[in-house]
Amino acid sequence: MADLPIWHYDTLFLTLALLFGITALAMQNLMGAAIVFGAYSFLMCLIWTTMGAVDVAFTEAAVGAGVSTVFIFATIYNTGVSATPNSPRIAFKIFAGLIAFGTGAFLLSALPDFPDWGDPKSPVNSTIAPYYIANSITDAHVPNIVTTVLADYRGFDTLLETTVVFIACIAIYSILRIDNAKSKVTEPDIITSPPAYDPTDSLIIRQASRIMVPFMQLFALYVIAHGHYSPGGGFQGGVILGASIILLSISFDLKHVLQQWTEKKIMILTALGVLIYAMVGLACILMDGVYLDYAALDSVLPGDEAYARSHGILLVEIGVGITVMFSMIGIYINLASNGRFDRGL
Amino acid sequence: MEYIAYFFIVVGLIFFLGTSIGLLRFPDFYTRMHAAGKGDTLSTVLILVGCIFAVGNQGDLNWILALKILLIINFVFIGSPTATHAMMDVGERAGAKPWNKKGENK
Repeated sequence: MADLPIWHYDTLFLTLALLFGITALAMQNLMGAAIVFGAYSFLMCLIWTTMGAVDVAFTEAAVGAGVSTVFIFATIYNTGVSATPNSPRIAFKIFAGLIAFGTGAFLLSALPDFPDWGDPKSPVNSTIAPYYIANSITDAHVPNIVTTVLADYRGFDTLLETTVVFIACIAIYSILRIDNAKSKVTEPDIITSPPAYDPTDSLIIRQASRIMVPFMQLFALYVIAHGHYSPGGGFQGGVILGASIILLSISFDLKHVLQQWTEKKIMILTALGVLIYAMVGLACILMDGVYLDYAALDSVLPGDEAYARSHGILLVEIGVGITVMFSMIGIYINLASNGRFDRGL
Repeated sequence: MEYIAYFFIVVGLIFFLGTSIGLLRFPDFYTRMHAAGKGDTLSTVLILVGCIFAVGNQGDLNWILALKILLIINFVFIGSPTATHAMMDVGERAGAKPWNKKGENK
């Protein structure tokens, strides 16, 4: 490992990633393209790992290769497998090609302005990163600097990222959700026909997922709570929690899941996560701090100011986890049941 | 210890090679899934067992690492055959005909 320069791995992975990307675009069978796209995401995850960005790699593995592949499958299931090639006029093709190449050239023209890879004198490495590295432990007793940066030093960013996830979930709801009782739209046969294969038939699949789901959820809780010390945090843990419920609704039935997590519960809990995050920030103001300055909470949270920041990070991570988990479930149910909440994949 | 790790990993890679060849060369859907399901599970488990022996020189907490890898083995052992079973089942319902000696995909 030490002998090889890191860019050997990078070159290999980037070449493969490029290959997979082109393959995914060129395939006519969308199901195959989705699988290749999952492999592409996994390669990106490997690239992040070789760069040492383990948290990002974890997110990519959970979101990119895991849940989003399921989302794509659910969409394909409801829209049809084969891509209909549309042949637009030649002028339009040239126009689109010009825009694509123009944007690419524009982005590439910015490349020489970037600092060298890993340049210690670059603005990022010389100004703010040393502060994070030097002070993460003394400020918040958090050895995993990524978590401190994410939830404390740049808490505003993460608050708005969580809000973006929430808004994405709301957008999916407002586009897809159809109330069966009020709807007069008749759906095409491909959507209303019963699924050819009902996985609830299979005892093996049900039992296997029954064994695995509790461990997945336990692991997700560990990822959220242990994000201070190891890769992970609210986003990754929330995605794994959501994936465990998605696994249940695939291997059992969507109705089975909706008995426990009704639509109302899912919506309320999606909003609750963002609310927890924002309220922790507001509590900091009420305790004579600035917004999201968890050190102000040290009179209610155990320990000194640094431990108060550590616990504040845990609180907001829990909020992020709740929002992400129920956003994933909500998006999946909408995509899989075509907004009707009656049956899943 | 290190050589035991190498042994398991190399054996796992050999099984992976067999899996890949079987996946490409077998005549029909079921035999291909058979190669993929069995070979993939066994080789992944063998490589992870090799990893357990390889973590021996990782410091005081290596038993926790070994325990985590054991849990991963457990999950692969449950998950991979189940996925194979699901795909087989779907293939059977989708009408994939088993291969026989008289002609391919009769």
